[in-house]
Amino acid sequence: MEAAHEDELHLHCEDPHKKYEPNKKLTGASTDIEKLYQAVPQLGSMFKIKGKIGEGTFSSVYLAIAQLRGGREEKVALKHLVPTSHPLRIAAELQCLIVAGGQDNVMGVKYCIRKNDHVVIIMPYLEHESFLDILNSLSFEEVKGYMFNLIKALRRIHHFGIVHRDIKPSNFLYNRQRKEYALVDFGLAQGTPDTKIDLLKVAQSEAQKGSFAYKPHLTLGSQVSVISTAPRQLVHQSASKTGTKRPSSFSQTQIKQGHKRKEGSEWHSVQRSVFGERNFNVRSSTLQDGSTVKLIKHSRVTDIASRKLSAKKKTAVNNGLAKKAASTCPANLTCDCYAKDRVCSICLSRRQQVAPRAGTPGFRAPEVLTKCPIQTTAIDIWAAGIIFLSLLSGRYPFYKASDDLTALAQIMTIRGSKETIQAAKTFGKSVLCSKEIPAQDLRKLCERLRGKSINSDISTGDIQQVINPSREHMLPAEISNSSEFVSQTPQQYIQYQKKSCHEGDGMNVRISEKAADLKGWDSVPDEAYDLLDRLLDLNPASRITAKDALLHPFFKNMKP
Amino acid sequence: KTKSILKNPFLKVEDRRCNYRPFYLQLPSFPVVSYSNPKPCSPFDVEKKNVNGQKQIQMRQRTPANNDKESFPAQLPAKNKKRKGYCECCMKKYDDLQTHLESEQHQNFAQGSHYQVVDDIISQFPCDFVDLRENTPKTKRRKCSV
Repeated sequence: MEAAHEDELHLHCEDPHKKYEPNKKLTGASTDIEKLYQAVPQLGSMFKIKGKIGEGTFSSVYLAIAQLRGGREEKVALKHLVPTSHPLRIAAELQCLIVAGGQDNVMGVKYCIRKNDHVVIIMPYLEHESFLDILNSLSFEEVKGYMFNLIKALRRIHHFGIVHRDIKPSNFLYNRQRKEYALVDFGLAQGTPDTKIDLLKVAQSEAQKGSFAYKPHLTLGSQVSVISTAPRQLVHQSASKTGTKRPSSFSQTQIKQGHKRKEGSEWHSVQRSVFGERNFNVRSSTLQDGSTVKLIKHSRVTDIASRKLSAKKKTAVNNGLAKKAASTCPANLTCDCYAKDRVCSICLSRRQQVAPRAGTPGFRAPEVLTKCPIQTTAIDIWAAGIIFLSLLSGRYPFYKASDDLTALAQIMTIRGSKETIQAAKTFGKSVLCSKEIPAQDLRKLCERLRGKSINSDISTGDIQQVINPSREHMLPAEISNSSEFVSQTPQQYIQYQKKSCHEGDGMNVRISEKAADLKGWDSVPDEAYDLLDRLLDLNPASRITAKDALLHPFFKNMKP
Repeated sequence: KTKSILKNPFLKVEDRRCNYRPFYLQLPSFPVVSYSNPKPCSPFDVEKKNVNGQKQIQMRQRTPANNDKESFPAQLPAKNKKRKGYCECCMKKYDDLQTHLESEQHQNFAQGSHYQVVDDIISQFPCDFVDLRENTPKTKRRKCSV
């Protein structure tokens, strides 16, 4: 499952295995380069492609040398989009780069070449670090600079009404030496209702009118990709055929989630559902009265889906319980499972809600994970908070989940279950959790994860951990899970020991980390954790904006 | 019985209007922050503990869908070699990217006029790369439509 997500675009990939290694990768990459030259012959006369530096589901990125007019050479990044990308999506990505890019740490664009369905975007090349490699050697000041510059980029794109949707270290290039930064990859970008990126708007209205064949497919891996733009009457009509009128809701978008699990995530990562979902989100209110004749194409698809659902419903209706429910409350399939630890054939027969969720698992905000249909620029802020959490704790990836609800459970473990449930209410979601988990103090959490004890004295810190690992497990967060840790601890303990004993250079690593520790890590100000708390606000409505974050006391000495 | 009680520990999410299907997760154990994972590992990294694949089976998110299981095995083998996906141009799923790109339907799209919106943007780009004098936007576009 994770593998499928990893397949998502890693522009200028940070994974060391995927890094450009001229000698090792030559065979595979050189055929790709050959293919690219063949697909887009014009490239040959302008660029010397040196190698592939990133590969994802939606694009591959190459490092190339451009021949400039004066004879000068310049490094550029060539982003070859997967030829299945819709022209409107391609155009929207280009427009994001043109309008918002080139300033405030947002990647710009130099040129673009097309040959049929092959589109190559030419961007300046920024040599950059691997986040994982440098994570534990950054000084605290560097972390502050990194966050400041990341948020600056977010302020820029949010100003233009762009929701990036895939904020993560591999999409934020960082040149440590030159203190240069670049936010990249608008391949999943979505417009806010008032976006200033015309094509993000055009895409919506065009799709809605059905005047081009771009179907807003909302498929999280569905066999039938069911569609958002059907007029509401149709939905009702088809639903009423089985005598089960669908309750009206502000979202008409429905989908059947066909494949699940492994292949489900594979499909969804491949299908980049966002482009269509944008319509769904942004237009849901207009949609309801604005059904046009041209929608018929879509409604046909919807109708098939509805029929399929209806068929399914019939099965549900066949059992007495459901029948009763259906007859007593035809307008809505109610049951008494709400907010209880159970499900029944009635609630399970309802349609699934669809909401955008494209992006990378560990960086998804709670409102994304719980399928809140209205998603704003706040989801990028959450992701920036996750990056900050990694920087402060020295852990990357911080969250490691194979599915959305596991990710949510992990968030609850950090931010508290009550708090998460409370926040979810504000965006229309009921979250029920079998266990109450207290929120963690962010400073304590990060310092323990970073290994604060090592700071003051290397040997003491190590010995403490090695000699008494169980002490580590007696802290509040884990006490409730004592039965689990009993079984886990020995293995972890052994592993930890192995690691410390077998790595000959373990000590050197620690010493260099110690050097970094001295650079401000012994006195992380409260403002840092306050900002982290604001970025990781579980409620998207009150979550700090990029604009405000730059004015946060944490950045007091920096110029916004 | 049509009702089923969720097994602890679990997580259940539903919309407050009850218009949609709830989705839930039952897991063998609730996630725990592990401070003993070596840096820079995720504090939630549990891979090593679940070597027997138990996790894969049990920790899956339950979002019931009818054709769950049928499609599961069929998809696995092809994963490495062929690239499955969805073509936004043809509005169609494909099992093998390369085959789809060569298909008549896709080729028709690829050589059609749909890319005007992209070309309009391209034509506005200034270009300081060497070759551009010979490849003016016009020439290039003519090439594309052939």
